[in-house]
Amino acid sequence: MSDLKITALHKYYGEVHAVKGVDLEIPAGEFTVLVGQSGCGKSTLLRTIAGLETADAGTIEIGGEVVNDHAPRDRDIAMVFQNYALYPYMKVYENIAFGLRARRTPRAEIDAKVRKAAQMLAIDHLLERYPRQLSGGQLQRVAIGRAVVRNARLYLFDEPLSNLDAQLRDEMRGEIKRLHQDLGKTMIYVTHDQIEAMTMADRIVLLREGRIEQQGAPLDLYERPATRYVAGFLGSPTMNFIDASLERGNDALNVRLCDGTSLALPMARTAKLAGREGQRVVLGVRPEHMSRALAGDTRSGLVRYEARIDLVQPTGARTYATFRMGDTEAVAELLAHDVSQPGERIGLAIDMNRVILIDPGSDAVIG
Amino acid sequence: MKAAHRNRLKLAVRLAAATLITLLFLFPIYWLFMISFKTPDEIFSYPPKWWPAQLQFSSYAVLFRDGDATTVLNSLIVAGTSTVLAMFIGTLCAYSIARFRTGGDNLANWIISQRMVPPIAVVFPIFLLYVWLGLVDTFPGLILLYTAFNLPYVIWMMRGYILDIPIALEEAALVDGYTRWQMLWKVVFPMSRAGLFATAIFTFVFAWNEFLFALVLTRTEVTTYTVQVTHYFGGQSNFWSKISAMSVLGTLPIFIIVGFMQRYLVRGFSLGAVKG
Amino acid sequence: MTASQADLVLRAGARPGGGRHDRRFKYALVAPSIFVLLLIGVFPLVYLLVVSFQNITMTDMDKTFQGLLNYRLLVQDTRMWEALLHTVIFTAVALPIELLLGLAMAQLFIDRLPGRQVFIALLVLPVVVSPIVAGATWSLMFNTRFGPINQIIGWFAGEEVNILWTINPSLVYPAILAAEIWQWTPFMFLLLLAALSGVDKSQLEAAAIDGAGYWRSFFKLVLPAIWPVMAVAILIRGLDLFRLFDIVWALTKGGPGTMTETISIFAYVKGFQQFETSYTAAVALMIIVLLTVVVLLALKRVQLAR
Repeated sequence: MSDLKITALHKYYGEVHAVKGVDLEIPAGEFTVLVGQSGCGKSTLLRTIAGLETADAGTIEIGGEVVNDHAPRDRDIAMVFQNYALYPYMKVYENIAFGLRARRTPRAEIDAKVRKAAQMLAIDHLLERYPRQLSGGQLQRVAIGRAVVRNARLYLFDEPLSNLDAQLRDEMRGEIKRLHQDLGKTMIYVTHDQIEAMTMADRIVLLREGRIEQQGAPLDLYERPATRYVAGFLGSPTMNFIDASLERGNDALNVRLCDGTSLALPMARTAKLAGREGQRVVLGVRPEHMSRALAGDTRSGLVRYEARIDLVQPTGARTYATFRMGDTEAVAELLAHDVSQPGERIGLAIDMNRVILIDPGSDAVIG
Repeated sequence: MKAAHRNRLKLAVRLAAATLITLLFLFPIYWLFMISFKTPDEIFSYPPKWWPAQLQFSSYAVLFRDGDATTVLNSLIVAGTSTVLAMFIGTLCAYSIARFRTGGDNLANWIISQRMVPPIAVVFPIFLLYVWLGLVDTFPGLILLYTAFNLPYVIWMMRGYILDIPIALEEAALVDGYTRWQMLWKVVFPMSRAGLFATAIFTFVFAWNEFLFALVLTRTEVTTYTVQVTHYFGGQSNFWSKISAMSVLGTLPIFIIVGFMQRYLVRGFSLGAVKG
Repeated sequence: MTASQADLVLRAGARPGGGRHDRRFKYALVAPSIFVLLLIGVFPLVYLLVVSFQNITMTDMDKTFQGLLNYRLLVQDTRMWEALLHTVIFTAVALPIELLLGLAMAQLFIDRLPGRQVFIALLVLPVVVSPIVAGATWSLMFNTRFGPINQIIGWFAGEEVNILWTINPSLVYPAILAAEIWQWTPFMFLLLLAALSGVDKSQLEAAAIDGAGYWRSFFKLVLPAIWPVMAVAILIRGLDLFRLFDIVWALTKGGPGTMTETISIFAYVKGFQQFETSYTAAVALMIIVLLTVVVLLALKRVQLAR
């Protein structure tokens, strides 16, 4: 059974069409991440689910019931806000108990639930403090605790980690994911951070300009993006896009770059591209699918590309090497010592099994 | 060394100027207060005495004996009740305007323009209405007018304070199971406590110090202290002790209150234009 | 507007009126205030309008329609024009003086000064005194024989002086203005001090490094920076001065004769001492119309609403 079903949802702010016909169904117990650039409508969508905005068209069903006209409090949801939204005049204990008090829960039950939630989030020693006495990470735990004590059907997270520094963010990411595993509740999580989306989601819903661009399991989206936008959005460093054209080679289909290089596609990939010979395409190569070419490497699908490295950025385990490929700058993710100096000329092996080809007219991935 | 020397001299000059100006502005208040502690002989001595030989409370004793001092109580009732009323309905209205933009810019502008209508133009028809309704010289009459008179100010100020509240705090309460009305009490009022407090004090002081409405709408029953002070005006100067004592009774509470709310003064005086 | 701008608007606090419940809620909240404001904001207006077309006086309850009778009388009434003139004079003299004095004082207190907070707290006291008490205080100050002002002047003159401050036609204006300026200069001071402390110091330092003198950086940098606050202060004080009543009432009651009668005092005398009801209604209406025009023009220029 699905916990949340959205059908043909539209939302306007005055002239601005923020959500343009979203259909979405989320099965019970799933962790869904709504991801996209700022202004893509992801927060609006979440707020409309919560009832903080009203839908202008379409329906929202929670647990099989249409809730369009329900106030937020009648939607059986709990929400974690970006800026914590903790009450500065209440102690941590009261902040967590706030939602339970609204529902006239017996005192003893409140106490038990608050303490259990606090223990789960390792904030039981902070219950008697005020929010202003806590650090950012602790505040975030309290904010999550306030949602967790509520036995809601749907848990909504609106960019909850965006105010934390990088290290805390990593830590809290794991924490929230573990929470999801322990509670088994349906959670919807909004973020603009593709790494958060990749690491946390059971399913990613990628939004663009008020529409769903693509949805699916994180690795599905990563490996089989439907559009150039999705391919470029996920992954860091971002995928390289090189203008090219398809042409029939001696025995296979080649991707020909504007500098004259021809890269042969594996046989397995040619079937889908039948009839596209001579057409312009955009070649999409992820940086990690390029490596230093080794003599005697006979794995199929690897093609060699001679590159002159312009910029070297070591990160420790890996080194990012920037070079010119066709008419654009491309980045390859190499092993730490594969390249040492700018100006070096090296042979790169491109894994043509993993590249994607995009139709420049429609931006759709064609193969 | 020379620069340091010059700086110290500059500071000394500024300090002297500041002291002089402050004394200049305080002197009339000193004079008013001092007169109330003088004996009649001292008040009418020539040349005037710059301070009383010893503090005399006879002027105050007279006011309390004659019951004139109860006008301060009337001021308290009128200013206090109207403040509570104006704060309550004004804050609700301010919330609606701040969060829902109820009535748009037109309503907001109309409300603030109400603040700027001269009292004399309002009090005249109100007086005629009150005569008809039998509200002249009654507490409800004066309280209603002060409430109405202070409303635009309350709405305007509280709108500003409410806009300062992070909206997510309110949304969190709505999601957590509170109705909007409950949320007002659980979140909005506690969050704007400082603003409520500051605005209430300004409202109170306006009503407390108001003279024209009270002059027109009271006779004997609900005379406020400002009107009472003018009862001692008259060609004869023999009411001076009463004028000053009555003024001090009315002014001292304000001074004490203002002493506690220094940090809200700028925002309050500037109709919120300066956040202070 | 793009979607991200819409997000910003949203976060800035504009909540578009949502569902049915919200709509009922938001109107319920404004209802009591609107009711009270209509009662004293609109009722009087309508009432004034009706009465001003009748001819009700102390002796005559003539409720028949008199057309523009009262407005004709109004235009011909030299006493009214004089009262209006007096009001304008008070405003035109007091406002700039309060502004400049307040600005000078703010400049004096803007930098670090020992006991700064205490000075400011004390300087603000005149503002919160009831204007009627302020008037009473200054009538004590100006008393011919027992007041300190004549006494101090006497020291400088070296002989006893008997200046009739509130009676002598050439001195009564300075006397009232002194009281008015005493009470409200601290108001200007407080607001301008706040505005000045909001001026970006690094800009001034940059200007000093570029060789700009004190006056140049004051006019080019400081004045534009404090102008918004200054404009609000001028608007508030201007409107207050236009309704000037209490201080004049306490000091002269508009006298000698009608020399210091302001428009508020004039209306008060007409309405509550001479009981020229219909005529006063016309006067009050004229004041409202006059002020409304001024306020609307001013509000357009002053960004009170941010």
